[in-house]
Amino acid sequence: MRAYITRRLLQAILVVFVVTTIMFFMFRIMPADPTTMFLEGGMTEEARQVLLEEWGLNGTIWEQYVLYMGNLLTGDFGNSFFYRKPAWEVLFPFIINTLWIAVPGLLLGAFIGSALGMIVGWAPRGGKVERSGILLATIIRGAPSFVVGIGLLAVFSSYLNWVPGYGMGDPQGQTGLMRYLNWDFAHHLILPLCAVIIFFIPENLLLMRSGVVEARTEDYIELVRAKGVSEKRVAWHAGRNSMLPLITWLFPALAETIAGIVVVEIVFSWPGVGRELVLAVVRQDYPVAQAAFFLLAIMIVLANLAADLTYSKLDPRVAYK
Amino acid sequence: MSIEFETLRGTLEKKPPVRLQVQDLCVTYKSARGPMKAISGVSFDVEPGSNFGLVGESGCGKSTVVKSLMRLLPASATTSGKVLLDGNDVLAMNRQQLSRVRWAQIALITQSAMNSLDPVFTVGDQIVESIRAHADVKHAVAWARAEELFAMVGLPPERLKEFPHQFSGGMRQRAVIAMAFSLNAGLLLADEPTTALDPIMQDQIMSRIRDIQKRLHRSMVLVTHDIAVVSETCERVAIMYAGRIVETGPTHDVLNKAYHPYTMGLQNAFPKVVAKGEKKPPLISISGGVPDLANPPAGCQFAPRCPFATAQCRAEEPMLRTAGNSLVACHHMERATEFRRAALKAETWRVEETLQ
Repeated sequence: MRAYITRRLLQAILVVFVVTTIMFFMFRIMPADPTTMFLEGGMTEEARQVLLEEWGLNGTIWEQYVLYMGNLLTGDFGNSFFYRKPAWEVLFPFIINTLWIAVPGLLLGAFIGSALGMIVGWAPRGGKVERSGILLATIIRGAPSFVVGIGLLAVFSSYLNWVPGYGMGDPQGQTGLMRYLNWDFAHHLILPLCAVIIFFIPENLLLMRSGVVEARTEDYIELVRAKGVSEKRVAWHAGRNSMLPLITWLFPALAETIAGIVVVEIVFSWPGVGRELVLAVVRQDYPVAQAAFFLLAIMIVLANLAADLTYSKLDPRVAYK
Repeated sequence: MSIEFETLRGTLEKKPPVRLQVQDLCVTYKSARGPMKAISGVSFDVEPGSNFGLVGESGCGKSTVVKSLMRLLPASATTSGKVLLDGNDVLAMNRQQLSRVRWAQIALITQSAMNSLDPVFTVGDQIVESIRAHADVKHAVAWARAEELFAMVGLPPERLKEFPHQFSGGMRQRAVIAMAFSLNAGLLLADEPTTALDPIMQDQIMSRIRDIQKRLHRSMVLVTHDIAVVSETCERVAIMYAGRIVETGPTHDVLNKAYHPYTMGLQNAFPKVVAKGEKKPPLISISGGVPDLANPPAGCQFAPRCPFATAQCRAEEPMLRTAGNSLVACHHMERATEFRRAALKAETWRVEETLQ
């Protein structure tokens, strides 16, 4: 087990290294020059060179690359061109904001989705529950991801006026954890959080359903039923077995998750890391964009590892050597 | 805890064997090609504490009968008739009554022990689940009972903590048998309990089931296509063909003095142990296959494969009639002596092939 994790972590380092390298060159070969964006017109060539040096954009691309990777090893992501402060300092608060909608959204979406999937999968084949469940899941899954958010905004914010439709609320001088532990923040949080949950329900539902439908014809389900346990308990056996394919999908799907969260953040103007990433690319703020992609790469690699480890907990037949 | 365990054992030991009466059981499956009559008018009785054999080739409906006794058939099947357990009709029970009867009164040894255990729970937990569904006891008490059951089937109790995939095929089958006895149900349904095993294992498992049966004095319905197993185990037997009982009676009579050509053919298809010097009869198979149940032939279902079939057989369905100690569904059972002699010859059955 330990050997397995070590091997996987070494692989992970390789993956992150490759991703970082690709990101570095991708931004460098884009046909744009960040200096034209941030430098005021009329700046002397001399002043421009000074700035380029400060940003690590002078010298050949190889020199830049070696410098960047060296800095990265010491935990230095470089300075944001736009904010004029370290990229990590820029990103950190945005990451926290994103976690508020991403973590509960993902967990609740997976939980509600798989619970519904179990109900739909256990319902009589071809019946009303099954048909409406699949139809609803397919519609949500099929609609562009911003539609749910805009729909929620239109109904609950514009029409009913129950919740605010923009941003994260005014901190009113609160700092630290108190910034988040107040009614105003929760009020702003609820709609984007719902959007994330709804975004995740369909795939969890459909995967769980197909797993349950497959499991319900298995011989062991017949034997469980023969034992005279309650129908709920029989369904639980089917559901428990269907969790295996769900987990294999769920963690690696985090990559897709991020795409969904970016859309939610933009629709609800939620100051999260996804939205900032998009803005950084638009602004050609290389250090911020690269740092964000670096974090994403690490997150996805770790998520895959977590999926494998969870799987071995859920399925006794899986053993890692 | 030990007091609780003794109480549980006490109540389980006091359970009487169950009398099973199956009356005019019919099962029809809905299929894309229209209704399929899988079982037509099957009736038989199992006396308390006796073993009843249900024999036939694959697809004759043996397993469907067993599943319908516990109401385990899929929703696409409609069942009619009566399945009486000590007089109570299983087919008329509501959901609650049904789950009280399952396992506590009828337990099941399934055909494919390989897939009969849930892969993500330990074997011990699955046995405990069956006990605690019916007896209000603590986990530890049920576990102690599971240990006792494992010892009974010859498995070391510490393996209860393992998962099904850590067991070999034979061990899994023994675990399934242990589970079937967990509540000492009055009636045991054994649906081809040894099919998935190799011949040595088959014999071991069968003698184990027989031993336990004899000791605990339970009623049993044994489904198999192995005539030898039936003759060793069952007092009475029914031969099934195309969802019908074609011959039933005391095992000795049915196997030694068959009245139905199908029973004769079935015996030919099995190797016999013969005395020294005696000539070993050749194995003869019955050509053809079971009829299409969505579109069954008129008259006797076996007529298309029967070497003795007449015009009457192809037109009129035979009813079960008394012949000796048995009941037989054949229009020509009066000619049974003549048939028995002819049935021993391979040519008799080969003729049929050219006809088809």
